Amino acid sequence: MPFFRITLMRSGIGMPTKTQGVLKALGLRKRMATIYKPVTPEVAGQIMRIKELVDVKEVETAMTKEQMKAARRPDPGYYVETRRPRDLDGERLS
Amino acid sequence: MALLVRSLRQSLLETRSSLPPTFLLPFRAHITTVSHSLEAGNVPDPLIQSGRHVSKDLREKVQSPPKLPTAAAAPTPPTSKPSAYARKDEVVSELTPSIRQMLPLLKSQSPHYLTMHIHGRPYLLTSGDTLRLPFLMPEVQPGDVLRLDRATHIGSRDYTLKAPEPVNGTRDAPKKVFYLDPELFVCRATVIGVESEPLRIKEKTKRRQRHIRKVKSKHKYTVLKIGEIEVKSLEEYEATVEEQ
Repeated sequence: MPFFRITLMRSGIGMPTKTQGVLKALGLRKRMATIYKPVTPEVAGQIMRIKELVDVKEVETAMTKEQMKAARRPDPGYYVETRRPRDLDGERLS
Repeated sequence: MALLVRSLRQSLLETRSSLPPTFLLPFRAHITTVSHSLEAGNVPDPLIQSGRHVSKDLREKVQSPPKLPTAAAAPTPPTSKPSAYARKDEVVSELTPSIRQMLPLLKSQSPHYLTMHIHGRPYLLTSGDTLRLPFLMPEVQPGDVLRLDRATHIGSRDYTLKAPEPVNGTRDAPKKVFYLDPELFVCRATVIGVESEPLRIKEKTKRRQRHIRKVKSKHKYTVLKIGEIEVKSLEEYEATVEEQ
């Protein structure tokens, strides 16, 4: 099932109330926010109302907010090689 | 005649020695896994083909008649990461001839420094350094030994082994950050303890109110001690790569 990937490139500040209402309905609260919506005529109509403000691409899979954040996150760059011995409570032994 | 042939063969064998002595090599040299010049692998495909490149969308539009909006689900090329402005960390394990030639020199010239990346931030480290991280590392305790495995530079006084430059991302392509192969070096860090900053008091005021709220903050930071930094030799590196 295809999805629209919609990114708000320009702020809705100063736009008519109706335009800002469309942004609110789509869940675009701030610039560079990205949302995924299924490809339906309703969503297409919403995009048409804010087409000057957003960047739209059709993608195959949607991503949640957490997945998008995980995709941006860099590698930790370390792993614990040896741990100092601990007792059952996690406290380290002397 | 046979004597002459033998002497010829000997002279040939002598010229075949692979590595010139150290003092003949250039005094200062940089080795990279990928050159920063316009090499084929270094430049994205669209840029190389920009002269004769017609965008795929345009070509489709020209070839196919306009569709009705209900058939908008045109086959888009499958992307691994549909997320916008994503990031991809890659390890470069390719050995160019210049690395093969220069790595023994780099290894022989200690002490070494490394640029290690922890959570994407670079730290220039040498053996014996004390590193106060700008955050409290979770689930570690003093005495734990960490292994740092994301490096962009291995350097000595005269030689530096660099990872390729990161490639900026776009809306569709993730940002690519390149690191050196972690098999090339060993960098361990011991957790020494937790350091705390002095108590900061921020005064928060509101208009027309005498009350001043005081917000206290006292953050904690993990302190690491860098152990011995070891750069692997070419033979060791190739042996570990073959094992994998």
